[in-house]
Amino acid sequence: MTRRFTVLAVVLAAGLLFGPTLAGAQDIAKPDGFPERPITLIVPYGAGGGSDQLSRAMAGAIESAVGINFQVVNKPGGGGRAAIPDFMTAPADGYTVMEHIDDAATLYASGKIKENPAEDWVPLAMAQITFSQIYIRPDDDRFVDWESFLAYAQANPGQVTIANVGNVGSMERINMLKLEEAKGFETKQISFDKPAERYAALIGGHVDALFEQPGDVRNFLDAAKMIPILTFLDIRPEAFSGVPTHGEVGADFDALLRFRGFYAKKGVPEDRLKYLEQVFAAGFQDPSFQAFNEKKYMHLIDSYRNTADSIGLLDGAIATYKAVYKELGISQ
Amino acid sequence: MEDFLQGTLLLATDPTALLIFACGLLGGMLFGAIPGVNMLTLGAVILPFTVGMDPKHAIMLFSVIYVSGVFGGAITAILFNIPGAPENAPTCFDGYPMTQQGRAGKAIGAAVSCSALGGVGSAILMMAATPAIADWAVHAFGPPEVFALIFFGLCVSASVGARTLWKGWLSVFLGLLLATVGTDPAGGLGRFDFGSYYLLAGIHFIPLILGFFAISEVFTQAEKIVTGTRERPKASLEFPTLREFWALRYTVSRSMGLGFFAGILPGIGATLAAFLGYNEAVRWSKTPEKFGKGELGGVVASETANNAATGAAMIPLLALGLPGGALTAMMMGIFQIHGMEPGPLIFINSKELVWVTFSAMFFANLAILGLGWIQTKTVVHLLRVPFRWLAPGILLLATVGAFALRNLLVDVWIMYLAGIAAYFLRKTGYSAAGIVLGLILGKIGESMFIKSMQIMDYDFLGFAERPIAALLIAAGLATVVASAVRQWRRSRDTAGD
Repeated sequence: MTRRFTVLAVVLAAGLLFGPTLAGAQDIAKPDGFPERPITLIVPYGAGGGSDQLSRAMAGAIESAVGINFQVVNKPGGGGRAAIPDFMTAPADGYTVMEHIDDAATLYASGKIKENPAEDWVPLAMAQITFSQIYIRPDDDRFVDWESFLAYAQANPGQVTIANVGNVGSMERINMLKLEEAKGFETKQISFDKPAERYAALIGGHVDALFEQPGDVRNFLDAAKMIPILTFLDIRPEAFSGVPTHGEVGADFDALLRFRGFYAKKGVPEDRLKYLEQVFAAGFQDPSFQAFNEKKYMHLIDSYRNTADSIGLLDGAIATYKAVYKELGISQ
Repeated sequence: MEDFLQGTLLLATDPTALLIFACGLLGGMLFGAIPGVNMLTLGAVILPFTVGMDPKHAIMLFSVIYVSGVFGGAITAILFNIPGAPENAPTCFDGYPMTQQGRAGKAIGAAVSCSALGGVGSAILMMAATPAIADWAVHAFGPPEVFALIFFGLCVSASVGARTLWKGWLSVFLGLLLATVGTDPAGGLGRFDFGSYYLLAGIHFIPLILGFFAISEVFTQAEKIVTGTRERPKASLEFPTLREFWALRYTVSRSMGLGFFAGILPGIGATLAAFLGYNEAVRWSKTPEKFGKGELGGVVASETANNAATGAAMIPLLALGLPGGALTAMMMGIFQIHGMEPGPLIFINSKELVWVTFSAMFFANLAILGLGWIQTKTVVHLLRVPFRWLAPGILLLATVGAFALRNLLVDVWIMYLAGIAAYFLRKTGYSAAGIVLGLILGKIGESMFIKSMQIMDYDFLGFAERPIAALLIAAGLATVVASAVRQWRRSRDTAGD
């Protein structure tokens, strides 16, 4: 009863806010009147987090651009895995869409989930694609940039601590591992699951460095509480033109990216999939979403992929992870 | 002080701000009081609409929701054993037994006054505290210190609600065991998941609490009705007396300090504040065995602490840009949407915003007192409803509450299983509160322990090299030894009789 009330309130409020723009609703052809009711958008992470913010921003943008309503439902737990059974048992009618991040690729590659996100799901769009960096404190007296950081790490093997997320075989861990292999040094990876703890650990001096994406720590960068010393990307993005890339410092590997996107189930009628793909493209183009992505530093590299390109991105990532896991012997 | 007056003036002379203040207050209380939705639900729903708002109003709205939402869940916890929100969970431990003893008015009165008191105290501390305090807390408390704090809390958990100390410890260890179900915090590997993605999500303490307290209570009462031994609890409207409050002055100030401290640490927040506040009340009490059986101090400790955490949580958010919990993370989002950066400069650049927020939180806490008083005089009458009509309502609310937490059906199953298990556990003298304490402290404790180990090269002696951590662990061990000695003496004395 309370849920229905919440939904009703959202729909009413959304109607009030976005009602006026409905008149200009898009010319994307609706397949047989689909959708005739709000679409459920499952977020496999908690309220307030990065995925949740993205999903609500996208839902709002689509509502204003195309006039379709979404009901955002958070099903957090198990590192993004607990939401999957509900998504898989929902009817394949296009009324259930799920947000997921690149972890879906690592989970599949390591055998932790059975569903291949590129085959068993249909990516409708990637809406955020970003790169990672290593950050240090600006007042650290042991190192000030990549050069001095590497020298210190090599002189003190296994002593430098880096705050990271937990999963063995995660995007973070693999990027770091490849870098350490290439440059011949060793760090201690500390597992932090909550972002705030991770940032507090660096600022508070409990760890020496942080592996993170720039959009998540933008306020600390702007306030000069953290500085980037290395970018995991093949070219220097303009906003970080003074920071070397991993390739430039002599680590030759394809850096793994963080990406967040939206999926439908395999088996949804083709015309509905096509329609949803166009709907998400329209949402991405909406000024409100563009502004959102800019605030999140997601405009530094092209953040959008359509269904075909998303499948390419996923396939590439899955192949890379599988190869790395085989090398490390951590695949199941 | 001058800043505070200015903030108050700005708040009072701005009709939009006043309207938002009122909506936030009522919304937070409503969402806090209804099990299954909480202030986070409300926050997530209205977050997109803050884009068009003045950032000052948006931040104020969220801070008011925070204050009233943390309080709102206390009423259902006390009356029906259903905590409206996680941070009210320990309020059940003693609040509901008080209702059964016909002291519901006293329990709610204490919850109202102490929420307000804790919140006002915290708001004052928040205004007086400089960003330097937040900075100190973040530097002094790393994972090893937080682990030691959790350990310290855990050491007293066995004294809550069990018939004997040993059953208390078994209850706590059962909670710790349940905490290991799901994805492990270091490697992301599944434990005790039996191949189910659902179990990978772990056992959340809310369905467990709903099962242990609300569901098993329905069974127990039903049994009493069948056997004809049930007495309907009196719906007393009696408030706690000033004398009773005065007797609890140390509990209140301890919980306030602890709640404030827990609020400052990133990732700890109001829920843990309430649990730690409760545990410390048990530790320092002369009669710890009374806790879990209707001790006013238990309600007071938990409700003071959770509201004291609200003001404190604003400090690291504003001064360092570090949100301590999900709701403060949403506030962080509001800052970002409006292109602002929290940090020390915010106290200079956005002084108006900071002080309007501070004064709004102060007055929201005062308003709780008034609203809460009205609630007390009205809601308690629900107890006059015959239990056979109330019971389906309780089961329904609990089911909705368990499901809505994560929208996972597994939580509903866990709740009913826990309800059945608790029915027997309680009959045999084990402590439901102990299991819950073990579960919640175990989860955070394990995650902190792993980080500490990784930082200290898996060397246990590392704790000894950190003064704060060493002190807390030693104090925790001393508590365990002391309680064991007390138990041994007592059994020796009774044996000698």
